[in-house]
Amino acid sequence: MTNLLTIAFTAFFIENVLLYQFLGICSFIGVGKKRSSSLGMGLAVVVTIILAGMATWAIYRYVMEPLEIGYMKTIVFILVIAALVQMMETIIKKFSPALYKALGIYLPLITTNCAVLGVAITNITRDYSFAEMLVYSAAIPLGYLFVMYIYAIIREKLELNPVPKAFRGVPIAMILAALLAIIFSRFGGLI
Amino acid sequence: MDILIPPLVLGGLGMVLGLLIYFVALKFGVEEDHTVQDVEHLLPNYNCGACGYPGCKGMAEAIVSGKAVPAQCKPIKKEEIEILNKYLEALKTGTPVEATAK
Repeated sequence: MTNLLTIAFTAFFIENVLLYQFLGICSFIGVGKKRSSSLGMGLAVVVTIILAGMATWAIYRYVMEPLEIGYMKTIVFILVIAALVQMMETIIKKFSPALYKALGIYLPLITTNCAVLGVAITNITRDYSFAEMLVYSAAIPLGYLFVMYIYAIIREKLELNPVPKAFRGVPIAMILAALLAIIFSRFGGLI
Repeated sequence: MDILIPPLVLGGLGMVLGLLIYFVALKFGVEEDHTVQDVEHLLPNYNCGACGYPGCKGMAEAIVSGKAVPAQCKPIKKEEIEILNKYLEALKTGTPVEATAK
């Protein structure tokens, strides 16, 4: 139990996917402009990473490991994630048009989001058991959602403030991301 | 023969996933409304903006929602506007029509 809590806390704060591992940065800078869109993208990432984590872990454990073709994991995982997102899109479209409208534009973005592949591969390289994999695959995207939401709030406030011309737009967003990363790096002292 | 295992696994996985997507689409697929697209195809597609809408797509949406009439389109030809009117008439009465796209 303590083991699982450690994994959850580490994945959420210390090894935050955006600020420590630097995965999924493109969507962080791009979508993190507005609170509503950052929330939509974050929730879509949570669902995708948990599903993709389970699917890739099962395929690796029960198909690739017995056949000793672990080196194929990158290409196989990309295939599985892309197919999974496609299926999810179809099903969401059928059962919840409102959710589809909210998440629809972010779903194709997720197919090529490196955070999803990063979690799938980390699950394998760290040799996680099923429970550990599940906790890790849930904590990482929740950390993503958390940081992205904070970032979006600050950026919305920033729009109303006088920023020097040279820093307006992306430069100040980068500086902001760096400051957030410095703050989050302090969590490393906790464990 | 060991060299055959990776391509077989990848190919098999691709096939299984492809079939899964196919069946999911078959079971959960949604019929989309193609009316706006059909009307857009029947317009000249010059995107001139003379009708007052941003491009032919905007005009098609306005026609379907009843905000605009086809006569607002300046460069459309007489025989083309007849086809478009016939399509809209059939749409109102509810008879399904095939859009004669160019």
